[in-house]
Amino acid sequence: MSAFLEVTDLRAGYGDARVLHGVGLAVPQGEICAILGPNGAGKTTLLRALSGMVRVRGGIRLDGTDLAGRPPDALARLGVAHVPEGRGTFVPLSVEENLRLGAFIRRSRAEINADLERIYTYFPVLRKRLKQAAGSLSGGEQQMLAIGRALMLRPRLLLLDEPSLGLAPLVTQELFRIVRAINEEERTTVVVVEQNAHIALGIAQQAHVLETGRIVLSGTAEQIRADEQVAQSYLGYRV
Amino acid sequence: MSGSTEVTSKAASAETPGRGRAPGRAATVRWRWIVAALLLAAACYAPFQLVPFHVFQLSMVLVYAVALLGLNLLVGHAGQISLGHGAFFAVGAYTAAILLQRVELPYPLTLPVAAAVAFVLGLALGLPAMRLRGLYLALVTLAIAIFLVPLLKRFEPLTGGSMGLTLAKPAPPAWTGLAEDQWLYFLALAVAVAAFLLAHSLLRSRVGRALHAIRDNEAAAEVMGVRLSFYKTLAFAWSAMFAGAAGCVYTWVIGFVSPDSFVVTLSITLLAGLVVGGLGSFSGPILGGLFVMFVPGIAQDVNDAAPGVIFGLLIIAVMYVAPTGLAGLAGRVTRSIQKILRKE
Repeated sequence: MSAFLEVTDLRAGYGDARVLHGVGLAVPQGEICAILGPNGAGKTTLLRALSGMVRVRGGIRLDGTDLAGRPPDALARLGVAHVPEGRGTFVPLSVEENLRLGAFIRRSRAEINADLERIYTYFPVLRKRLKQAAGSLSGGEQQMLAIGRALMLRPRLLLLDEPSLGLAPLVTQELFRIVRAINEEERTTVVVVEQNAHIALGIAQQAHVLETGRIVLSGTAEQIRADEQVAQSYLGYRV
Repeated sequence: MSGSTEVTSKAASAETPGRGRAPGRAATVRWRWIVAALLLAAACYAPFQLVPFHVFQLSMVLVYAVALLGLNLLVGHAGQISLGHGAFFAVGAYTAAILLQRVELPYPLTLPVAAAVAFVLGLALGLPAMRLRGLYLALVTLAIAIFLVPLLKRFEPLTGGSMGLTLAKPAPPAWTGLAEDQWLYFLALAVAVAAFLLAHSLLRSRVGRALHAIRDNEAAAEVMGVRLSFYKTLAFAWSAMFAGAAGCVYTWVIGFVSPDSFVVTLSITLLAGLVVGGLGSFSGPILGGLFVMFVPGIAQDVNDAAPGVIFGLLIIAVMYVAPTGLAGLAGRVTRSIQKILRKE
């Protein structure tokens, strides 16, 4: 039986610069997969490849559908939601407008309104800021907005790029707790790229360590966490 | 923690009040409609108080405002650039003129035809052009504006060549009891109001949200399912359509078209007018229309020898005092007056 998300021999890059040299992954439905690794390893490029933002060679299949080579808007229609690094907030638009834009591909007003309510239960702070310009939110709130906006797509696959970037430790913890809750309640499959390995391994079932465009280590979150050598050379902390 | 976010958010919203998205937004929107209604009432009253030449000038302000509405969709709301907007204005003007003179179509019918021709042309040119960004797009649209004039001079049997075409202006129906200039003014006003309502409803729709998303963050818009090339091309075609409609009314009001009325400078003046009026704002196109109509004349009065220099200096001065355009300046002044009133 093949996995929900199956990536085989994925190669991608920008112009002449190759960034990914044959990456393979298999994520079962409803699981969280953490991608770890140092700066410049190709983590962001991997996510961008999964959401169609860079040209790829190799295979990407989601629930049996071939995703490789499709443009980002087509992938959004197939249920891939990408929360980009730096959050991609529409700064001058209000919080509500940002969220509604997340449901751009959907038509049913009633469903969209119901989903807005659902998102406010995950992120109560967003309800308080509805009419406020999204650019006036704090970093943590903007990250919550970005994830909420991605959920408005009703994604089958949620891609999170460094959600902890620039956030206070307590805010990061809260954010990952919510991501875990979303994953459990909606059965959304999640691929999360993180520098903060500790916190990512805390919610993931499986993890992969990426280095210079190749996966150098794969395993369950526990296995990766237990690997002393990994901890020192890639993840930057001692167990 | 929540206390500090409260403070930062307040500070930030105080810094960007021009967006009008603070909690009092509903009130601002209501005020905006009240102001619009008052302006409309004043606009209906004005032609009975002014001499014909001034009525004509106001008609031209409305014509430019319609063209700028279109440009505002593209530049202010979708974040693209066009240095060729005057070309679509000319296409609308010539379409109306040719239909009136060669086909002898009743003039009200020339408006939808001129708008449609400009729309289709915008679609055709936008399809390849909108794959480009920034400076490249600016160059391609500039090229459209540049090659139009020689093209118009070329097909003399149709366009009248360098001499242009002179036409009879639409005559006021007897029941109105209006003079010709007043009738033309009300035609322009009707088209302008319709254009404003159309642009407003376009922007409030799903498509309007897509345009804002493209302007603010292309990559994020794309991953949410917004097809960039489709919506950019659509925005370009719409902007051309408004320009075409404006051009048609121009022909009605002036009764004459010639290639030299639509040189590249027109496109650039329109863009400057929009930026000065206020990009992406509600009142920007009207203020821009006033600017395009009156400021070159004022520059001429100030210094007969070098009106271009004065015009340029005035643009610089406005942008220095009001970087968000006259609309932004007006908003700032209104808010500070409100603040003073509230204190008392």
